[in-house]
Amino acid sequence: MANALELELKHLIIDTLELEDVTPDDIDPDEPLFVEGLGLDSIDALELGLALQKTYGIKLEADSEESRRHFANLKSLAALVEARRVD
Amino acid sequence: MTMASISLQDWRAWQPGRVSHDDPRLSVAEHPKGASVPAMLRRRLNDMGRAVCDMLAELDPRAECVLLHASRHGDGERTLEMLYALAEDTPLSPARFSLSVHNAMLGVHSIASGNRRSLQAIAASGCEWAALLSEARGYLIDGETQVIAVFSDAPVPARFTEHIAIPAEISAVALRLSCHAGKTIESQPASQPQLAQAHAPQPSDVIDWLLGEAPLVCPTRGLAWSLTS
Repeated sequence: MANALELELKHLIIDTLELEDVTPDDIDPDEPLFVEGLGLDSIDALELGLALQKTYGIKLEADSEESRRHFANLKSLAALVEARRVD
Repeated sequence: MTMASISLQDWRAWQPGRVSHDDPRLSVAEHPKGASVPAMLRRRLNDMGRAVCDMLAELDPRAECVLLHASRHGDGERTLEMLYALAEDTPLSPARFSLSVHNAMLGVHSIASGNRRSLQAIAASGCEWAALLSEARGYLIDGETQVIAVFSDAPVPARFTEHIAIPAEISAVALRLSCHAGKTIESQPASQPQLAQAHAPQPSDVIDWLLGEAPLVCPTRGLAWSLTS
């Protein structure tokens, strides 16, 4: 069900970060989410971390290397949610 | 000692819901486009932020002016409501927090436009207009050829309105000021009848004044302003 979760996360990203004119199809699961690719910034990273906590009960360290790896792209984010969701 | 005079070179204003006026410098759009700001930055701006950024882009297209921004209440929707979230132990939205500061709109504009000049945010308990002119005069005397002064305000959230004597109307005005060409802005002591009718000037009052529809008076400072060619 990786694709269903990826689609769910795409909607979470678009809604939480109020991305204008971005559809789920615009988010490539393998492309970087931050700076390049989708072009998110550090405030988005904090906002997304909060959304993961609220939605899936996942708590991350704000600036750890591990968090950077999880936030690399949509696939890594989906793997994180799959492994650590508490709902 | 004579004070250096200030000249008004150009202005833009935004006041949704105002009876439409044929002056092209005034916008009454319900939802300004914010077209001067890239979409990835624009998403963080509300209607006020979009209006202000677009006005700044029109008045200072080369993004080279010092920018001043005065607002009595700032973005109350973000700042005051955030306090309730804290009291209720609800996590704060980092994006909303980042935009709750008084200079947030100018900050977003500076990123979008590349303006690296001074940005100054002012709140002055109802004397924002007088404070803006004082600050602008300082920069102009210091050698700036032009300064942009923005004055904006919006109603505070509903649960705070009982603490406000005169509710703010959502509106914003931006003026390009100089020591040189343009209409001269002069202040003089306000008359007693003027003071009796006056309330702390809001951006909408400045718009009325710019359109020649009403005098502009600050009761706290006891001043009235006029525009002369």
